[in-house]
Amino acid sequence: MRAKLVTSLAVALLVLLAGLWLVHPPASRANGERDEEKGGHAHVPAPLEYADVHVPLSVWTDPAMIALGKEIYATRCAVCHGDAGDGKGPAGLALPLKPPDFRNKDGVAEMRDNYWFWRVSEGGQVEPFKGKGSAMPPWKGQLAVEERWAVMAYQHTFSGHQGPHVTWEHPESVAVGRDIYAMACVMCHGVEGKGDGSVGPMLSRRRAPQPRDFTSAEFKFRSTPSGHLPTTADLLRTVTEGVRSAGGPMTIGLRGHRIMPSFGHMPKEQRLEVIEYVKSLNRGFWERPGIKTVAVPAPPPFTPERLARGRQLYADAECSACHGERGRGDGPSAPTLKDNRNLPIAAADLTKPERFKNGGRPEDVYRTLMTGLAGTPMPSYADSLEPDQAWDLVFYVLSLSRGGRTAQAGTR
Amino acid sequence: MFWRSFVSVALTAMLVTTVDVGAAIAVPAFARQYDLQCNVCHTRPPRLNRFGEQFHMMGFQIPSAARPGGLVGSLKDDGPVKTLIDSLALRIEGGLFEYTESPRETETKFAPPDEITLFVARPLLPDLSFFVELEGEPRAVVFEKGRYFTKGETGLGKEAFFMLNLGRLVGALGAPTMEMGGQTMVGTHGGFSMHGPMLMAGKVDPNTNFSYATNRQLIAPTELEVKHGAVERLPVVPYAFASKFFGLFKNRDEPQLVTDQVMYNTPGAPGADLHAMFNDVVLGQIGFLRENEGFDTYAAARFDLLDRGELTFNVSAVVNWGFGVVRAPDPEDHDHPGDKRLDRVRYGVAANVRWKELDIYGALIWDRLYGLPGELRGDVDRTATGLTVQVDYLAHELVMLSSRFDQLWAGGLKNEKRDGSVLSVQAKFYPWQNVAFFIRDSVNLRGFVEESPLRNWRNQVFVGVDWDF
Repeated sequence: MRAKLVTSLAVALLVLLAGLWLVHPPASRANGERDEEKGGHAHVPAPLEYADVHVPLSVWTDPAMIALGKEIYATRCAVCHGDAGDGKGPAGLALPLKPPDFRNKDGVAEMRDNYWFWRVSEGGQVEPFKGKGSAMPPWKGQLAVEERWAVMAYQHTFSGHQGPHVTWEHPESVAVGRDIYAMACVMCHGVEGKGDGSVGPMLSRRRAPQPRDFTSAEFKFRSTPSGHLPTTADLLRTVTEGVRSAGGPMTIGLRGHRIMPSFGHMPKEQRLEVIEYVKSLNRGFWERPGIKTVAVPAPPPFTPERLARGRQLYADAECSACHGERGRGDGPSAPTLKDNRNLPIAAADLTKPERFKNGGRPEDVYRTLMTGLAGTPMPSYADSLEPDQAWDLVFYVLSLSRGGRTAQAGTR
Repeated sequence: MFWRSFVSVALTAMLVTTVDVGAAIAVPAFARQYDLQCNVCHTRPPRLNRFGEQFHMMGFQIPSAARPGGLVGSLKDDGPVKTLIDSLALRIEGGLFEYTESPRETETKFAPPDEITLFVARPLLPDLSFFVELEGEPRAVVFEKGRYFTKGETGLGKEAFFMLNLGRLVGALGAPTMEMGGQTMVGTHGGFSMHGPMLMAGKVDPNTNFSYATNRQLIAPTELEVKHGAVERLPVVPYAFASKFFGLFKNRDEPQLVTDQVMYNTPGAPGADLHAMFNDVVLGQIGFLRENEGFDTYAAARFDLLDRGELTFNVSAVVNWGFGVVRAPDPEDHDHPGDKRLDRVRYGVAANVRWKELDIYGALIWDRLYGLPGELRGDVDRTATGLTVQVDYLAHELVMLSSRFDQLWAGGLKNEKRDGSVLSVQAKFYPWQNVAFFIRDSVNLRGFVEESPLRNWRNQVFVGVDWDF
């Protein structure tokens, strides 16, 4: 009797699971279905090359820019989008993908400035809009950046919104990211993103690393110069890879001993959504004049000479003061190291590149050397090392683990 | 004399334990599946922090980042061997030495690890996971033929269940849904949202979502001690969640001990639990559980009221109706069970405050019996209450200090019942995140009563290891 019941339950469960799987396989896009219903203008995250393009706040309300935008709009956009911005221009009526109605406050509010700029720049030549039959031409070759900003500012006036079009004025534009943040990030990074979630103090008691304060200007993992905010690609790399750390359980099988999980299984669109929300917590992302990044040149071939030069650089730059002669993080200064919150911080054990917080691949180590880790004693060597020298040092650092096999493998 | 003996015992235990632990390697399953340190999910193992609670609630998945394909994805990415090993975990828990003092006797006793558990757990699909404990107890206490015995036992442990996210099913019924990292949530972005509903079925202990979660305790319950077929000493457990009544029976044979863990701290019972989190503020839970000859139905809610800076605060309430879950004693002979099964109604509130390195949680639970035979009305107190409050303080990266106060206002047979008050303090040292050595002292704050297994002790000191996951 009992066996029959168990068997019946098991079969019922299997049927239910199979049904669920067939009826609704996992989707990979955030909020996509709802946007589909709105006419195909899915407000997907802007791709990385546009993600950092944030319109200066003053542009949205500058009368001169709005006037310039009006002029451009009349000659280039109104034919499809309509004089009143209602999407009913004479040429737009026959298009398979109807132009959006800029008077729709809700629709406009959901568009982030970088999305908007991407759409104006690339038009309908990119996915997912190309596949939906968008006929919008790309304007990046015909309009300067400021002109594209101007036309956006004018289009923005149709919605009736008076202030700058920014995420903190339109929380609905980061609703997806905020939901993910509330689900996955708030416990460590806190409600306001100040790195003061309840998990932090227990995670690593009064020691670094602590959860990042997104409202400050200091981000450790960057490709930008010391003291600058990171790029969206930097944030994406951190969200995807997580943060590795020293310590952890006595066990086998762990590789990076992450202290922040890898969200690599989260669809990229959703990772970008949560990053847009994180950026909305820090107006510095809108106020920075331009973005410089530290280029990572292709690694030169590994040679014993380079390794020898790297060893010499390691000594000259006094890396051993913190990292120790053999790179084990046991240099004479190591016990006294503190971060900018005055919390004790360990020097990285260079013999374990799989645990490097900023990544253990050669290009990661290069980037760390040239940008430093903001808020920690690890400085940037961008002013003191030439790229070639930096690679020498990278080879030496990676040679400290596994008899140098890492360094050689990294050049292949 | 006492302290000299104690220190000798403690040092010896440390030495023995260290040697013993070094011979084997812990295998924390979830840590390995996600390449994470233990402290990401635990304040210190085994107690969950808020991220761990969320991880558990979402069916052992990193929130918003379920592995596409689940088990198949793991097999493809990691291969079968790593997938298998990553699905397993081992836990050894036990007080290796015990020192008990009463006015009458001083007793020193060796006790081997009392619990060895093999966990098999992992997500099978983004919306489905399973969790099974296989347990070996070298000194399990069993009741047979009217007597208590100590013998080795193996079998299913406290919990063995699957967890299924029913979000898709609710969506198929017409509710709006959102895809969050391969998992389906009900609701709309920026509006109403619901995690789950999650169905947890099998052998379950549904208290993980309660403000006082009892199934991952930093201060582990002590063992029941038996002698000559009878109960010698009752264990020290969170009294709020105990059965609380003297003189009742589980069935037609076995007594229900006053410290037996029932409903919201059950040692795992067949049942099903549905829970869902609404707008990240309210967690609702309903379910049913088998208990003895009857079954429990319950509803609980947790309200996450404050999340500001490093301060969080939540409160919970539970109501439980246990239908026929205990048996009244025979009105003519109180030492034997009667024919009448009783209902038990349980109300409880709990709260949890977390601030910096401090974690305070407590529960107050009232029980009342219904269906008592008229002949027993004068002999039985139908109400009982339990209070448990615990404070954990992470005093050092490697040291968690804990203290718990348990108060029992017992019910049941008036000529047998005793109230109890116990204060426990514990220091737990984590040389690794998954290995803890602990020293614990429990003090009976009430008067010594020789014939009462609840109070026939003054002080209990334990030195042990919790080799954890």
